[in-house]
Amino acid sequence: MDRTRRRVTRRELLQDAALAAGGFALVGFAPEVWAQTPKLGAHLIGRLEGPELVRDPAKWPKKFSEAPMLAELVKQGKLPPVEQRVPQEPLILKPVREIGRYGGTLRRGFTGPGDSENGNRWVSADKLLFWDYTGNKVMPSVAQAWLLSEDGKSVTIYLRKGMKWSDGQPFTADDFVFWYQDIYLNKDLVPTPNADFMINGKSGSLRKGNDTTVVFEFPEPNYLFLDILAGSTSMGGGQALWQMEGRTMGAYTPAHYVRQFHPKYIGKDEADRKAKAAGFDGWVAYIKNRWDWRLNPDLPVLTPWKTVTPINNPSWVMERNPYFYEMDTAGNQLPYIDRIVMTLAENLEVLNLRAIAGQYDLQERHTGMAKIPVFLENRDRVGYDLHLDPALNGSDATLHTNQAHDGDPEIAKWLQTADFRRALSMGIDRDQLNETFWLGIGVPGSIAPAETVPYSPGPEWRKKWATLDVGQANSLLDKIGLSKKDAEGYRLRTDGKGRLRLELMTAAGTFIPQTQIGEMIKEQWKKIGILADVKEHERSLFITRVRSNEHQIDMWANDGSEVLFLFPRHALPVDPVEANLGYPIAVWYASAGTQGKAPKDPQLLKALELFRTANGKKAQERHKVAQEIWKILVDQVYSIGTVGQSPATMGVRVVSRKMGNIPERQINAQHCRTPGSSQPSTFYFKG
Amino acid sequence: MLAYLARRLALAVLTIWAITILSFVIIKLPPGDYITSYIAQMSASGGFVSEAEVQALRREYGLDQPGYVQYLRWMTMVLHGRFGVALEWKRPVSEVIGDRLWLTMVVSVAAIVVTWALAIPIGIYSAVRQYSTGDYVATFVGFIGLAVPSFMLALILLYLGFKYFNASIGGLFSDRYAEAPWTLAKVWDLARHLPLPALILGFAGTAQLVRIMRANLLDELGKPYVVTARARGLSEWRVILKYPVRVALNPFASTIGYLLPYIVSGSIIVSLVLGLPTVGPLLLRALIAQDMFLAGTIVLLLGVLTVVGTFLSDLLLLWIDPRIRLEGKQ
Repeated sequence: MDRTRRRVTRRELLQDAALAAGGFALVGFAPEVWAQTPKLGAHLIGRLEGPELVRDPAKWPKKFSEAPMLAELVKQGKLPPVEQRVPQEPLILKPVREIGRYGGTLRRGFTGPGDSENGNRWVSADKLLFWDYTGNKVMPSVAQAWLLSEDGKSVTIYLRKGMKWSDGQPFTADDFVFWYQDIYLNKDLVPTPNADFMINGKSGSLRKGNDTTVVFEFPEPNYLFLDILAGSTSMGGGQALWQMEGRTMGAYTPAHYVRQFHPKYIGKDEADRKAKAAGFDGWVAYIKNRWDWRLNPDLPVLTPWKTVTPINNPSWVMERNPYFYEMDTAGNQLPYIDRIVMTLAENLEVLNLRAIAGQYDLQERHTGMAKIPVFLENRDRVGYDLHLDPALNGSDATLHTNQAHDGDPEIAKWLQTADFRRALSMGIDRDQLNETFWLGIGVPGSIAPAETVPYSPGPEWRKKWATLDVGQANSLLDKIGLSKKDAEGYRLRTDGKGRLRLELMTAAGTFIPQTQIGEMIKEQWKKIGILADVKEHERSLFITRVRSNEHQIDMWANDGSEVLFLFPRHALPVDPVEANLGYPIAVWYASAGTQGKAPKDPQLLKALELFRTANGKKAQERHKVAQEIWKILVDQVYSIGTVGQSPATMGVRVVSRKMGNIPERQINAQHCRTPGSSQPSTFYFKG
Repeated sequence: MLAYLARRLALAVLTIWAITILSFVIIKLPPGDYITSYIAQMSASGGFVSEAEVQALRREYGLDQPGYVQYLRWMTMVLHGRFGVALEWKRPVSEVIGDRLWLTMVVSVAAIVVTWALAIPIGIYSAVRQYSTGDYVATFVGFIGLAVPSFMLALILLYLGFKYFNASIGGLFSDRYAEAPWTLAKVWDLARHLPLPALILGFAGTAQLVRIMRANLLDELGKPYVVTARARGLSEWRVILKYPVRVALNPFASTIGYLLPYIVSGSIIVSLVLGLPTVGPLLLRALIAQDMFLAGTIVLLLGVLTVVGTFLSDLLLLWIDPRIRLEGKQ
């Protein structure tokens, strides 16, 4: 809706308020206030830190102890002693500050049954491999070691001897084989092979070495697979994330439990009968419900906490897993905290107000940057600290130009002209955006990721075509043939159909105020004679329009693009689910050229070709390929970066002062499952 | 009379059937479906969905079938007394609504009681003492009440409550009791949380009803039967309450039809702002997520309640107003 051109009626205001879930912000401050106090938040960004993994067996604890609530159960004979519950070689963590105390209930807010990631990320220790707190180094997790073969065709992972599921049953290589044979290869459950488990269109396979060894094999070199196992991907992302919401991946599953719902073991009739009795259409729907950790408290898991009250209730409650495989350096079984209780907040304003009022002990999700001044105002009275965790991605509000737009040939031509895109980029005053919407703590620049990321092409690429230069922008536009202007100074189309109007699509209800940012860019573009219509869409409609190739330019964050090969969709048109640079191109790429439409732009083609070959290259070489791709993307400006590396997404962390082992700054990135890499199992209540 | 009732009943069934089609069409109107809204939600919150999953989910939920097939599927379920599984909640629709239904009723009834308890006396006073200071004050406050959007009032009261009284934010229960089984202490906790939403929800309605009551009563007060009653020497209270007030209540009775759905869905935005675990926010959420089973069932429920409510208010009018009764007999 174009707010600048007509007055908003009360009814529209109401609709906005309802739809935008945050459109009726009472506790936000006017943007102008921030602009006058630049760098308001800079001192809230601390030192990057996190728990260290103890690899030296000499430093491992000799004696184990456990939470009082579990010790009580052991005394009653309801649970075996801790030595028999943890693996022979548990994962030993040195907490970021000190050895913690057991107990307590952690209070958080969540927004409903769709807010799965709120819990998934907290229990992400069920990943096979993980990233350390810097986000750059692969570390053990469920697997204690791994081996990538010299030819890149196999990855072997070594499990922990004596490791157990949360119900006390052994966790072994058979749980992988069951997943592979009976889930992944079952056409009812997985109709088409998964891209994360393939190389150059050919499927990988899985076999058991011995009880604690699992081998992933590929017909061609797949050096990337180690990163895939460590990343938030469908093979390495863990059971909790990849077997919820109808998903069927995750590489392992509790075979002893899931078997009772599987037709291969009980027969199809019996499986369907069980499903019908439980109110499901058939066994497929039922088995997917049974292995969803958010919905089924009976499901055996490897996570630090397990669900006791499912997510589709007013509270989502989790309790410690007595068989969890992590310990601190003093031999205390983790986690320290007994329970996590998330309470349903019907909308984001209520959630933020509750956080401000101290009703949550730790909340880094749904807390908005716009609320920072109010958080600061109340922190001493209520007793919490505010930490900001900047992300690694280049741009939180990225303008993606649709390279396959075909609705308006004239617009399509300009969107596919590099100098046109460069001019648009140089017409943006990123400092103004930064001061207004990012409190001055974001980093203005292109879409390239932070320089700490190994894929970064270098600091100069953060600035390329990404600084305000109205003069050069104007001369580029004149040069490509857009020199004619109307009386108000707007450039005219070359086909004689009046002003050149670009449609800029934004989404409502996102972590940053996209529409307001769009309106400011629209004002800035007036200086280069470009007229943009900013059109706000409900998020679902936004996605629908992208998928039907209707947009010209849209705005979305490029989060996750810092790990280009694990999560390329916000940088390259390779995934039809989110193809901001052109849906037909993504379909073309994903179908290996059999459907969709190839891009005409040779540079974009080159970037896609480079991307296609990367999986088979070794790490060092792969880094170079990534840098090469970033250089093309930045130089060609298919996507216009604005301001990034900010705490906009999950980086505003409100922490009660009662809590200990809280990193000053934690890595904020998708592949690190923030706060996963900070190991929430080591957080504790000081009492 | 019986024939009249039978005709009304047949019409009601027809209306409800039309409502099912209409609600289904309206929910299907916006582009996209539950899956696109799911993709959007995941993508905006740091998660993601793959294309294979998208296809699988569409098939699983039957969203790949044409609209009329989906409608027939839904209707078959409804006729069997089942309402499907809420897509987002992964629980039967009846359970999801049932959880919230009676809490919603408690809040709405409280709001209605507040509205009526305030509106009727003030309305009567305003009419009887027309153009007095009290009337002007009531009119002034009334118009403010009409003009202030109640969600705004809710937000401001929430913030003030937090800032100056350390009140807990939103909801109908304290943290301690939200999950607890029902006890006297929990009921007391609910009672303590109830006044704020009841007042906010009641405020706008109060203003409106005061105006209606005042205008109706003013019409009646000048009529000859009032003069007659006064002439017969009845006390002023009796004169006003027994005759003109009773007639002035007619519009209240005829709007009861809309009260029933109101009791169930309440004011959506206020409930959302106050974080009330009621049906209103559930409906909004279902509409945004394009969960047609949940949204469709709620809309259907509201439609049925409106039809039943209108029927009831017709009966009530017959009972209150002898004039209508007499016409019915002819």
